[in-house]
Amino acid sequence: MATLPDGTMLPGKLFIVEGIDGSGKSTQLDLVHKWLTTSGYLVAFSEWNSSPLVAKATKRGKKKQLLTPTTFSLMHAVDFSQRFQQQILPALRAGAIVLADRYIYTAFARDAARGVNREWVREVYSFAVKPTVALYFRVPLDESLRRIIVGRPALKYYEAGLDLGLSDDPYECYRIFQGRILREYDAMVDEFGLTVIDAAAPLVQQQQLVRQIIAPHLEGALRIDPNPWRDVLGTEHLSGRYLDSLVHPGAPAS
Amino acid sequence: MTAIKFYGHGLPNVQTTPLPGRLIVLEGPDGVGRSTQVALLREWLESQGYAVFSSGLRRSELASAGIETAKQGHTLGHVTMALFYAADFCDRLEREILPMLRAGFVVLTDRYIYSLMARAMVRGVDKRWVQSLMGIALVPDAVFYLKARVQDLVPRVLSTRGFDFWEAGMDFLPTSDYYQSYAVYQERMLRTFDELGAEFGFVEIDASRSIDAVFADLRAGIGQIVSELKTAEAAAQQ
Repeated sequence: MATLPDGTMLPGKLFIVEGIDGSGKSTQLDLVHKWLTTSGYLVAFSEWNSSPLVAKATKRGKKKQLLTPTTFSLMHAVDFSQRFQQQILPALRAGAIVLADRYIYTAFARDAARGVNREWVREVYSFAVKPTVALYFRVPLDESLRRIIVGRPALKYYEAGLDLGLSDDPYECYRIFQGRILREYDAMVDEFGLTVIDAAAPLVQQQQLVRQIIAPHLEGALRIDPNPWRDVLGTEHLSGRYLDSLVHPGAPAS
Repeated sequence: MTAIKFYGHGLPNVQTTPLPGRLIVLEGPDGVGRSTQVALLREWLESQGYAVFSSGLRRSELASAGIETAKQGHTLGHVTMALFYAADFCDRLEREILPMLRAGFVVLTDRYIYSLMARAMVRGVDKRWVQSLMGIALVPDAVFYLKARVQDLVPRVLSTRGFDFWEAGMDFLPTSDYYQSYAVYQERMLRTFDELGAEFGFVEIDASRSIDAVFADLRAGIGQIVSELKTAEAAAQQ
């Protein structure tokens, strides 16, 4: 069950992943997404900082380096609130499974790492639903840096935390910034009951563990017929040769 | 000098030394004549030798364009809109209002957090939440509240730009009649302003009177606040 702040239980299930950059959480969630859709569940997916409306303003703010820790925090809150009202909440009310790549804990960790008051950020997001399961992919800082830096030409200004002026060297700055975020995450494990996954473990073993954790919560989740056109094809004597090229909403990218 | 004081958790990375400028807020319902008064006050203050910076809602470089787009599409929920307005406000506070106050300007703002709070509250957003959100705001030196009844506002709105979708609360009130919706919405806004006024210590000014009568009251109130700037500067030079 996912739970509203006032204690109301929603029929849907909310599974979220958290962790610093390079923890492998998105890869794991993508595998969960494919597993659940293949199993016939209706799955809605929502990604951090993906609302098109806010993206324009955030992009502008990043390009012109207008963003302060507080406005940065608020722009992410606008993005989250928009996705929450339009995607996450309706899907949970309908009884569907919602997968979120990063959730409010990302804001709590990053904004606090930027010096924003912790209580204030938590209050800003107090309208959010408590997830059914919140997975925190914990990885040592050096391991995540090794994964991230490989094949990446340059770190971006805000990504590296250069706005904080921790160091003139983007890589050093990034390391300090990610280290701070890591400490915030670790402190939240008990505060919010995050389920810790050892993200340094082999990828496939992590996925096995994740599925074991999620499986008991799937009972009653909304399902859809994965092949709703099967009957039409049969009665109309069609082969459905062009159906493969359609993009099905909610299906994970293959 | 004005000591830095925030309503709530405030902002990170702000120097805590006192601000040499003065922050003066004009609040009041749509169509009450706030922007006219700000324009008059600015000229008057400048003629008296004060450096003036004026600001108003939705004028931030960061968020104003996004808010305009959102309003056209009517796509955002009330909480999202409150957060977007908070981002707009915070951008102006950190990058305009605070630096100007630090430089010794008189900052005149056409509306402040109270309008944003009232706007969200009449739409059913939790008051405690909005208040905490807006706890980033600096406590102003004075808030002048231009008060008028709905029947005073209607002719002014009709004679200028007509009813606006948002100023009539059409985004959430059930009626499709602009006039009726406007009346209900503004009535609720006025009640909320009264509530906030008592809580935040607004100086009430009867705005159902003529422009010059309202201006005279504002000039008297603001004149008193800014006059300290001259004596403080003189004292600092001795």
